[in-house]
Amino acid sequence: MPSGQDIAALLPFLLLVLGALVLMLSEVFLRSGGRGYQSGLTIAFAAAAALAVPFAPQQVLFGGQAVSDGFAGFVTMVVCAGLALSALLGRGWLETRNMERGEYYALALFGASGMVLLGMATDLLLAFIAIEVMSLAVYSLAAYPRRGQRPPEAAFKYFILGSFASAILLYGSALYYGATGSTLLSAMRGGGGALLAAGLSLILVGLAFKVAAVPFHAWTPDVYEGAPTPATAFMAAGVKAAAFAFLTRGVLAMVAGTPFAVGNELGGVLGLLAVLTMVVGNLFALPQRNVKRMLAYSSIAQAGYLLVGVIAASRPESRAQGTSAVLVYLAAYAVTVIGAFSVLAVMEKREPTPDAGSADAWDVSRFAGLASRRPWLAFAMAIFMLSLAGVPPTAGFVAKLSVFQAAAGAKAWGLVVVGVLTSIMGVYYYLRVVVAMYMQPAEMEEPAAAPPTVAIAIAVAALLVVVVGFSPEPLTAWARAALLRM
Amino acid sequence: MNPALQSYFPLAVVIVLAVILGLTLLGLANLLGPRRPNEAKSSPFEFGSRPSGLGRDRFDVKFYLLALLFVVFDVEAVFMYPWAVSLGDLGWPSFVVMAVFGATLVVGLVYVWKKGAIDWSRE
Amino acid sequence: MVPGTHYLALAAFLFAIGFAGVLVKKNAIIVFMCIELMLNAANLTFIAFARQSGSMSGQAIAFFVIAVAAAEAAVGLAIVIAVYRTRGTISVDEVEALRDR
Repeated sequence: MPSGQDIAALLPFLLLVLGALVLMLSEVFLRSGGRGYQSGLTIAFAAAAALAVPFAPQQVLFGGQAVSDGFAGFVTMVVCAGLALSALLGRGWLETRNMERGEYYALALFGASGMVLLGMATDLLLAFIAIEVMSLAVYSLAAYPRRGQRPPEAAFKYFILGSFASAILLYGSALYYGATGSTLLSAMRGGGGALLAAGLSLILVGLAFKVAAVPFHAWTPDVYEGAPTPATAFMAAGVKAAAFAFLTRGVLAMVAGTPFAVGNELGGVLGLLAVLTMVVGNLFALPQRNVKRMLAYSSIAQAGYLLVGVIAASRPESRAQGTSAVLVYLAAYAVTVIGAFSVLAVMEKREPTPDAGSADAWDVSRFAGLASRRPWLAFAMAIFMLSLAGVPPTAGFVAKLSVFQAAAGAKAWGLVVVGVLTSIMGVYYYLRVVVAMYMQPAEMEEPAAAPPTVAIAIAVAALLVVVVGFSPEPLTAWARAALLRM
Repeated sequence: MNPALQSYFPLAVVIVLAVILGLTLLGLANLLGPRRPNEAKSSPFEFGSRPSGLGRDRFDVKFYLLALLFVVFDVEAVFMYPWAVSLGDLGWPSFVVMAVFGATLVVGLVYVWKKGAIDWSRE
Repeated sequence: MVPGTHYLALAAFLFAIGFAGVLVKKNAIIVFMCIELMLNAANLTFIAFARQSGSMSGQAIAFFVIAVAAAEAAVGLAIVIAVYRTRGTISVDEVEALRDR
């Protein structure tokens, strides 16, 4: 039975659900006037959920199915920050297209509640439910505009592959249940045998789909391109954070409880996934002239670096270093990618008819000469690109450095070498955008002005990226203190 | 024979007999019965009235919407059965939890209602 | 009594059929049904294991999975309808406005 303590520990999650219900009802009861208050309400609920994190007692919930530890608290903060920033972005983007509705914010809040729950889950059934709450909301967000061919197609592809992955994960959980008699991650302790190995493999495949690790990444570019830009920003930041949180917990439980080695350097399953993801993600991003698609492949590549952090966390000698590196990376990536998508949202072409040849809506040539026309916008985009590339002094550099340091602590030198080499490869395509903005003459028509809320989102994200880049200590210290309880 | 399967033997006998009997009767009727078809006999049965339109009609999307709403709310109600059975053991706290669950469903229902999704006559 | 392994084998077959169907079939509705088949295979596995070990938890899990599957069906079919309205087909192969070019 829930005690007051349990409710306090769940308060961030409960606040997000409450916010979703309030916004759903606001859409049917309060829509006579403008809708400006809806994004404000969403941000207020996200802030309230984030503020509730420090007050949440650290304890085990639901008889061991979830835990409200520092790790979960950190993930909750990242999700709430992502939710608030993408609500700001969504407000401006939706309003200029005249499709702002309460449902958009309600779905984002529901999705965020699933992400928060996934960050707390230490049980396969609870994780399945949290993944579905998160995914169903995000599928719907991808289809939200219901105009033109692209959003429904993106949602369609995301839905088919996402629910396929969920079904694989669930079947793996069923085999796991047969092998251990429970769905708790802690039930793995001392287990072994073919049934458990089969179950864990299927669970790993399901999660690899969710984090978009190669070779389970095929859906990512299409979904990221077709979904409305604010929804893409939210899924890039939030889904990645939540899925990696649970992956880290699962891998740590696997290492602690079974004889299966998943985290060995290049030989192990995760090592192979990490190398493939880093190499393939960066290689496919290289030729992309479509900036939105380039960011999608970049998100695959970032998943590879995050996997390196997870591998470091799986080794006893670098466990604390690895988990905190994953957290730092998730925070830095979430802020950077939302900023990058916000600039992209300002720059993207608005078609008179939704289905007009819109393949060049996000072409890199639209950024040509931006520095002379919109110096601040170009400056912010340059910051985000440098952060994604891992160039100092940005948050992205801090994140990459801590991941590679953790991998070095685990003596996984092969992964460090592959990681650094692919990062250098990445600089090329990120800098293409910067070069276009600063060194090419302007060709296109004058870009539309950024709506005020989008400008705020861009400014906040850019400021965070630079501040963390210059003084990373508060963030890294916080991540180190965010202990993970099994 | 496997003792587990042995218990199914009477069932197998019934199935075999039913199939034989059915086929025999149909076959005999086919062989011996008179055949005088007319228009009324060969048309599909539609409660005695004259059939209209094709059998493979398309249905309005609002049927689909209602059916989906029904399925979702119906499945959510499934959680109430095990709860109701064990309410005596679980006591008041579980009543509060289920009240919150029910209230959440009601919010969903109110939303659907105000959106007009269950308004049958609306065009 | 049918031994528990028979249920497990049946579930494995159902899962394999669903898995193959998702990869091979062209019609979105059939792909969707194959995914539901995979979920139900997992359900059957949970219940078979629960009966084998005499614990109730596997049966409770099935309830949750059924509820999640219903929600998934609602969202999934709505998305399929949205795709059909914007392009008049639900063949998985013909939905390709988004791809590398």
